[in-house]
Amino acid sequence: MRLRPVIFVSVFLLVAIVLQTTLFSQTEPFTPDLVMLVVILLCLTKTRPEGLLGVAFLAGLAVDLLGSSVLGLRAIVFTVVAYLAIRTKDRADIGRIVTGLWAGLMTLSGVVLLIIVGTLFGQIVLLGDGVVDRLFLVPLTNVFFALVFAPIFVRLIDRDPTAFRYV
Amino acid sequence: MVTRQPGDRTLPTLISLLVIGVLLMTFDIRSEGGGVTGVLRSGVQTIVAPLQKGAAFVSNPVVDVVETLANLASLRELNRALQAENAAIRAELVASRDDLALLEFYERFYELEATGSDLGRTPAQVIGQPDAFDAALIIDKGSSSGIVVGQPVIDPSGYVVGSVQRVTPVSATVVPITVGPSGVAVAVGNQTGTVVAQVNTQLMRLTLDNAKEPVFAEDRVVTSSGSVRFPAGYPVGVISADAAPSGDSLTADVVPYAQADTLRLVIVLAWPPDPISAVTPDTTTTTSSTTTTVPGDGSSTSTTAGGDG
Repeated sequence: MRLRPVIFVSVFLLVAIVLQTTLFSQTEPFTPDLVMLVVILLCLTKTRPEGLLGVAFLAGLAVDLLGSSVLGLRAIVFTVVAYLAIRTKDRADIGRIVTGLWAGLMTLSGVVLLIIVGTLFGQIVLLGDGVVDRLFLVPLTNVFFALVFAPIFVRLIDRDPTAFRYV
Repeated sequence: MVTRQPGDRTLPTLISLLVIGVLLMTFDIRSEGGGVTGVLRSGVQTIVAPLQKGAAFVSNPVVDVVETLANLASLRELNRALQAENAAIRAELVASRDDLALLEFYERFYELEATGSDLGRTPAQVIGQPDAFDAALIIDKGSSSGIVVGQPVIDPSGYVVGSVQRVTPVSATVVPITVGPSGVAVAVGNQTGTVVAQVNTQLMRLTLDNAKEPVFAEDRVVTSSGSVRFPAGYPVGVISADAAPSGDSLTADVVPYAQADTLRLVIVLAWPPDPISAVTPDTTTTTSSTTTTVPGDGSSTSTTAGGDG
């Protein structure tokens, strides 16, 4: 990774973390998982896959460090989601709606994994009121955000104005 | 189907990171949040907390405006209902003044000493939540304001919210009782038991040991003197439906008073009271009596901390 994308990605992740923990903690029931979305959208860029996995791990670790659940939980989840996204991203570059749905599907796999791994490690704090609703509402909200922001995000990171024009 | 190029090192990287992640989880669980992981958490939260405070400062008024506009119709109804409730409570207050004057007279007559405990109270603003699945609250006060791990947290109405799980110099993480793994020792009338959080519901499960009497809907559940996490007498919630003892035990659902996800302000109680900080003049917590039932009196004949009056 060159310096400019590293700075961009770091800033995006920091902004996503701050917005997720403040503004979007008050927009229930439509709460996105912005950090996971940034990780998923990063997989659409030309960044090296190994680097993407590292970024996903660190992003998850950052959210873990700010939360009350066990350290490493989201790091694992985000890394697996990034791996899935890297392996399936060819199918996302068809159109804006497909990109959004793909991002939603990746988010769904992430939140399901979060609940499963969290439950296995006794993280009852993740299973509070409305957890089943959130399993679907978080991916849905991420679909919306991906629909709106995915193309511009990829263009910004890759410095490629032609990316995701869906011609 | 997934695509994979020859010479692709993605899978080994994934496996390595997963192993590191599982090791981190195991290490964090075994060290119970302390040690290196505790220092890491503290460092990251110290860096991010000022940004969160800034973001909350900007976003809270915007969210308030949107919420107000969205709830304008129901707010009018709520306002009328609250005005009626306010009138009724004022009438009760006037009626209780005679009883309080009588109580004060008897206290003087029998030369009773006030034994009420003064609890330090630190008001703190909720600046966020980690994510949609983590119901913990991040507050803008930390160890530099006298907050320590384990202290109980109530809302401005005195209802139990939860307890402090982690502290940094400038922020703290509060885990609500509605999602926390630990139960709370409570009392319903003269019976004692425990409430614990349940999965996928706001309701909490009450279990009374040695139950002899039934409990009824709207019965008040308060923290008991047997609690090691909360001072006694703070309201937790109300029983949701009538329940009768089955054998020696009784189980019922409790609707908690405090709605943690809508809170903007909480109060951290310096409990159990620290005898050292109690005599230290430069303590950063603001101290006020929590057992006062008479305005200006500041005393109570009970050692039970108030807030449920």
